[in-house]
Amino acid sequence: MTAFVIRRLLWTIPLILVVMLVTFALMRGIGGSPFRLETGGVPYALQLRFERYYGLDEPWFVEFWNYVRHVFSFDFGPSLVDRYTTVDEVIKERFPVSLELAALAAAWAVPLGIGLGVLGALGRNTRVDRTATVAATLILVVPVFLFSDLAATNLVYKWGVVPAGWDSWKARIVPSLVLGLAPAGYIARLVRAAVVETLEQDYVRTARAKGLYQDRILWRHVVPNSLVPFFSAAVPTLALLVTGAFFVESSFGIPGAAQYYVTAAKDRDYPMVMGLTVVLAVVVILANLLADVAAAMIDRRLVEKKA
Amino acid sequence: MRAAYRRFRSNGAAVWGAAGLGALVLFCLVAPVLSPYDPYAVDFGDKLRLPSPKHLLGTDFFGRDLLERMALGGRNSMFIALVAIGIILILGLVYGAVAGLAGGKLDELMMRVLDALFAVPRLPGVLIILVLVGANGNIFTVILALSLFSWMTTARLVRAQITTLKENDYVRAARALGARPHQVLFRHLVPNTLGILLVAVLLELPGVILNEAFVSVLGLGLNAPTATWGNIAQEGLGRSNPYFLVLPSAAIALFAVAVNFVADGLQDALDPRRENVGAGGAWNPLQGFIRPAARVTAASPGSAQ
Repeated sequence: MTAFVIRRLLWTIPLILVVMLVTFALMRGIGGSPFRLETGGVPYALQLRFERYYGLDEPWFVEFWNYVRHVFSFDFGPSLVDRYTTVDEVIKERFPVSLELAALAAAWAVPLGIGLGVLGALGRNTRVDRTATVAATLILVVPVFLFSDLAATNLVYKWGVVPAGWDSWKARIVPSLVLGLAPAGYIARLVRAAVVETLEQDYVRTARAKGLYQDRILWRHVVPNSLVPFFSAAVPTLALLVTGAFFVESSFGIPGAAQYYVTAAKDRDYPMVMGLTVVLAVVVILANLLADVAAAMIDRRLVEKKA
Repeated sequence: MRAAYRRFRSNGAAVWGAAGLGALVLFCLVAPVLSPYDPYAVDFGDKLRLPSPKHLLGTDFFGRDLLERMALGGRNSMFIALVAIGIILILGLVYGAVAGLAGGKLDELMMRVLDALFAVPRLPGVLIILVLVGANGNIFTVILALSLFSWMTTARLVRAQITTLKENDYVRAARALGARPHQVLFRHLVPNTLGILLVAVLLELPGVILNEAFVSVLGLGLNAPTATWGNIAQEGLGRSNPYFLVLPSAAIALFAVAVNFVADGLQDALDPRRENVGAGGAWNPLQGFIRPAARVTAASPGSAQ
């Protein structure tokens, strides 16, 4: 088990490097230099001096090495648009907000999803099942901007039920719930399929034959054994949360990283976009790793299969 | 083939999906021909109307007929999605075939690169490409950006299929008879991959349509007067009447679900051995947009999921 964790941990390093290389290549691919403008700019001799000073005249692998070195010492460089902020400051200020939003959304999504899924599985092929399945499908496929915009326009700005922004606990309830809807639908579908499969296993029949209570069979035997696919759903869930955050943050006026990402993208603030992408990729890779380890702890067979 | 068609017909969800999809496509193709309105004609005296006999789906903020714009928007969104699907198909087939045929170290390396690409979340990735290419609102930039982050699942499935197929007796026989690698590939391997390829690519379709909408709503898609479902949704944001946002969202959701039912039905029809997971199987209406959990794991043990 320890060897498995260590090996997976070591794997993340080349993975992060490849992600950085791709973002770096894209950034270099746009060409140009910050000191060579289409019109005007500084005199040519000065351009060369600046480029040498900032190491921009080096071959690409030296530049990449510089970039990697700086990123690993948490220096993502300055913003191209706002000369008083650095990428690091934005990451420090805004990432925690987005992480908290995502965590709260997950806190809504997991019980909601498991509840809907178990409900559907227990009432297999009845009206309960159909209702649960339709509900899960709806919250999964309806684009997240519909829910976030409707909730924000009505609950926040029209009726003033909850405040906008992210300052109070009251303000956090609705955005996190809206963000949690799509993952809840996704989890519900997975859990329903897994529980239906587990219900047909021999040991469940044995438990039933022994005369155990239905509740005890469900929560002791069925649900825990249905959770492995749930962990492999962690990454898609995270992707849903990342995508949703773009819309939820802007609808509710939450000062998070996703909203800033769009602003930076529209302003063509390259170092900002690159820095935020690298941090986001690291978060995703680590979440990936955690989900794998958790799944392996439940089902030891995965250790051999995946190592 | 006929048996596959019969299996498809007997699958209720798939037939409904195909019918819904057909109705949507027909609407988008026919409505602009029959409609008397100009989709770009601005009329502020008649703006933000709900459905009425004059404007069957109402009018938007600029007084443009929404029926006309929904149909045109559907055409644009579907065109974007179809071209993107074509690119995904080619990229996935080539990458997967090369990795599958090569095997060994190269295969291993190529799969690791795929893992790294999977680690870049899709929507931010699409945004980066749009920013870097910089041609604002160009339809082919949007298509390229959408497809560049959606071909990996297809590549994995193709690779898995080819890795299995190439050990088959008939392939080894062909090779023993002196067939060249490209002959083996195009005569024996690719044709047997087409079924899987078709389904994989269809499953990416809802994700592409959704991401097009996301990009447009964020203001980085096609430029304003052009109608796409995403642009219409963007114009419906923040209105006090939800109708203007619900209409395009419903079209997107309907399209996504319909395509998914069809893809799922095709999958069952083309591969009768596949266990019938029934209505509540782990089908995934957003595949392409989020990663399918179970299928990919099965296709690539050792992947860094």
